[in-house]
Amino acid sequence: MKRLIARSLLLSMFGMLPVSPARAQRQTSPETLIRNATVLTVTRGTLENTDVLLRNGKIAGVGKNLNASANARIIDGTGKFVMPGIIDCHSHSMLDTINEGTLAVTSMVRTEDVMNPTDVDLYRELAGGVTTLNLLHGSANPIGGLNTVVKIKYGRPASEFLFPGAMPGIKFALGENVKQSSRPNQPGVQRRYPNTRMGVEEVIRDAFTRARDYKRTWDEYRAAAGKNKDLMPPKRDLQLEPLVEILEGKRYVHAHCYIASEILMLINLADEFGFKIKTFQHALEGYKVAKEIAAHGAGASIFADSWGYKIEAYDAIPYNAAIMTRAGVVVSMNSDSDERARRLNIEAAKAMHWGGLTEEQALKLVTLNPAIQLGIQERVGSIEVGKDADIAIWNGHPFSVYSRVDTTFIDGVVYFDRQQDLARRPELAKERAALEQAEPNKPPAQGQSPQRPGRRRPSHEDGIEEEMPR
Amino acid sequence: MPKVRSRLIVGLLALTLAPFIPNSNTNAQRSAIDTYAITNARIVTVSGPVIERGTVVIRNGLIAAAGANVNAPPDARVIDGNGLTVYPGLIDAYTDLALPEASPAPSPGGGGGFFAAPPPRPVGGPNSTQPVGLQPEVMVEDVIRPGGNEIESARNIGITTALTSPRTGIWMGQSALINLSGDTPQAMIVRSPVAMHVGFTPLRGTYPGSLMGVFATLRQMMLDAQRYRDSMQIYERNPRGIRRPDTDRSLAALVPVIEGRMPVVMLVNSEREITRALDLASEFKLRLIVAGGRESDRVAERLAKQNVPVLLSLNLPRRTTAALPEADPEPLRVLRERVEAQQTAGKLAKAGVRFAFQSGSLTDMSELMVNARRVIENGLPAADAVRAFTIWPAQILGVESQLGSIEAGKIANLTVTRGDLFDRNSRVAHVFIDGRPVDLRPAAGGPSRSSLSGTWIVNVNLGQGDKAITLNLQQEGDRLAGAISGPLGAGEISNASVAGGGEVRFTVVFNVEGQTKEASFAGRLANNEIRGSVTIVGAAPGTFTATRSGQPN
Repeated sequence: MKRLIARSLLLSMFGMLPVSPARAQRQTSPETLIRNATVLTVTRGTLENTDVLLRNGKIAGVGKNLNASANARIIDGTGKFVMPGIIDCHSHSMLDTINEGTLAVTSMVRTEDVMNPTDVDLYRELAGGVTTLNLLHGSANPIGGLNTVVKIKYGRPASEFLFPGAMPGIKFALGENVKQSSRPNQPGVQRRYPNTRMGVEEVIRDAFTRARDYKRTWDEYRAAAGKNKDLMPPKRDLQLEPLVEILEGKRYVHAHCYIASEILMLINLADEFGFKIKTFQHALEGYKVAKEIAAHGAGASIFADSWGYKIEAYDAIPYNAAIMTRAGVVVSMNSDSDERARRLNIEAAKAMHWGGLTEEQALKLVTLNPAIQLGIQERVGSIEVGKDADIAIWNGHPFSVYSRVDTTFIDGVVYFDRQQDLARRPELAKERAALEQAEPNKPPAQGQSPQRPGRRRPSHEDGIEEEMPR
Repeated sequence: MPKVRSRLIVGLLALTLAPFIPNSNTNAQRSAIDTYAITNARIVTVSGPVIERGTVVIRNGLIAAAGANVNAPPDARVIDGNGLTVYPGLIDAYTDLALPEASPAPSPGGGGGFFAAPPPRPVGGPNSTQPVGLQPEVMVEDVIRPGGNEIESARNIGITTALTSPRTGIWMGQSALINLSGDTPQAMIVRSPVAMHVGFTPLRGTYPGSLMGVFATLRQMMLDAQRYRDSMQIYERNPRGIRRPDTDRSLAALVPVIEGRMPVVMLVNSEREITRALDLASEFKLRLIVAGGRESDRVAERLAKQNVPVLLSLNLPRRTTAALPEADPEPLRVLRERVEAQQTAGKLAKAGVRFAFQSGSLTDMSELMVNARRVIENGLPAADAVRAFTIWPAQILGVESQLGSIEAGKIANLTVTRGDLFDRNSRVAHVFIDGRPVDLRPAAGGPSRSSLSGTWIVNVNLGQGDKAITLNLQQEGDRLAGAISGPLGAGEISNASVAGGGEVRFTVVFNVEGQTKEASFAGRLANNEIRGSVTIVGAAPGTFTATRSGQPN
């Protein structure tokens, strides 16, 4: 019973915190001055005893002895660290559904359609200093759905999460997940094409060939429709339209991949059709083809030291980030996990240990570099005047496992505050107790829990199942 | 005088024809009398003030007169209304009444016999370009059948009229508003088609297999319908010299929808589902009606502004199983949801959102009035509750000149109770449908369909030993919602559905091998246990077994 209470308390603490009195106030952005903190600017080094001023949702000042207006909130930053909000370039948080795996090409589906702004993982990510997510479709098919870049405005409607001006993107995937190699053959069940890496390449080539034809058909129709109004319009195809945007350079490709050969395959294919791959996601063997990735102008978004979980993930090394960074690849560390997303700071720190990146290089892995990969580097990713006030205050250096986040701001508004969270826990426990007593939450029958049926075992005498005595 | 004669002739005709009309079980003795008067009754007209003591006259299927100073005509069969209250016949604004049963379970004793093998619900149209579940051309009108226990138990609590539509598929088809009596489908129909119905449950094993795909499919088909309409117009203007476009009944059925001539009923309950429906409707300028609407109060402002009505389900969520020590505690969200669902109607009324009540696949119709009472106790004025069963659904469904109030000239659907409709001790004394009294019988048996609702302990085996997670399910007809919690993560299920024969499917987001992955469950319910397989992209498939924690309600 004690355990039950403890667990229900825990759940109520981390359970659901969206409806708070703060909800209504969050739209306005108050002025905040953080005084005398250590500021990890990412682009301009680490500044000691420095103030950061947040005003109108932007970073309005970084320097010593800044002045704020009379009604500004002043936070004493002595002993604290201010860091740009962490950007997770590979997330599936807040998605009601991740894969549309029935077809090999599902560029018509959009993660934006299935966002759940009340997903509690979002709150936990805010508590880890994360402010921006790249919500990707899963890796079930060669060409997956459209991604969505969001700011974690937990408690606000989904439409307010959308990152303004972020480049539209799409998920591609190569290798084992796509060819379904871990799915055994079932008699009578037709496997979805493709089943090999060759087939994956063919599917992508075929899709872009169709997209090219589609664009030509529409161009011809638009040219001729002015003269002839009896011309039948071509079909609008939501599957091919995003691929046309890729060909026109208006949409970023984020390609899930593991091994060196498939990375080269996709670079060659993209060159053939004249488009760019923006990021190789996971890219565990990226270090083998780092020069080629850099030459193509692609980035890589990887894990620090997670591998060996399937055949194509064996030939990995923890020096991946360092090697690729030195080859000129823009590298980021992502989570691909609602759990790991809470501690991306530590993932970045590992690159200092494995491969000896500088502190600034390591910080970039979870801030400026993912910003570049998502086309939002003018807005976020570093602490500079004029950028969005998306920052986190840490109680120690974020590369220490002992540090944690005190406060997380997005557009200058507090979305996580450790003290507020602690203060609200008794209130939530009280609410739970009251709700448990409400009529619709009462168990159907009063009194004891119903008896569970006894285990059944076959009787050897007559083959009839009989009840075991309890 | 001529009027009387013509009525006499109609009466005689009916008598002569009577032997040729197939005898239905429900209306064994049909009466030739078509004039009734309920005298000295309290009359809740809904359109005007309550008449404390008055008479309602029914003639030829219509309300002939109602008022304090109305006298019973000499040819009328008089019902003494002392102590009775007359209401307009109650309307259930979303049901699947009169539709053939989906499950393959044959009816005991081979009863019915209308169709040799009952076709699955939804019924696929012949020569459709689309798979079952994506056929907007399906007309409920073509498949309804009179009679049956479900219709009878709805009438027993005073329901006279129902909007009926299948609840499976994505484009579910076009609904009909039916009176719950009549010997033929044709006689039941008040209006058809009423609306296009849309659900967001993915298809099984084929595209669209996810909620994302459902949205993409809805968009693509509406775009195709726009092009279909434009192409047909171009072709019909001057067919010579133009290659003939293929005809397509699915796309043709969507043309009135995209032109805003036919409303679209979307089945959505949570705040985000309703928001998505509103967004989709805005994108294509659809005339949206929300059905379900459990959290519609949270978007009340937008619903009122965009004039979107709600067919609000009275299938209120409640805890169906007792707590067991090994189950994870219920999330705060679930506890809140159950309490707040009772307050939705009151909040909608305050915010000025138009709404109507519907039974929401309640398995036990006797709970409908219990839940209506609960909603009134939680802030809905009782007079509004009456409106939400009468004039409001009539207005939303476009039949306010025929139904929804007691006024001369309207269809004589009346619900007569002893005691106030929502009083715990009241009972339905008489029900008139199309001017005829309906036999009221005690409900036969309990709920007929089993429900998956409740808490399940799911043992998942992904090749590294069992992991036990807790699964909370809420079943509403063929729709399934719920949430998981436990060592593999916590969150709501999606893409969930249950089909006839107990085939259950849903997906959840898991943390496996350090990555957030989607796990698709497919299993079968047998002996109060669900067994099946788990598939995860990029991982070997696993198995699961779910057992109930506690007993079903």
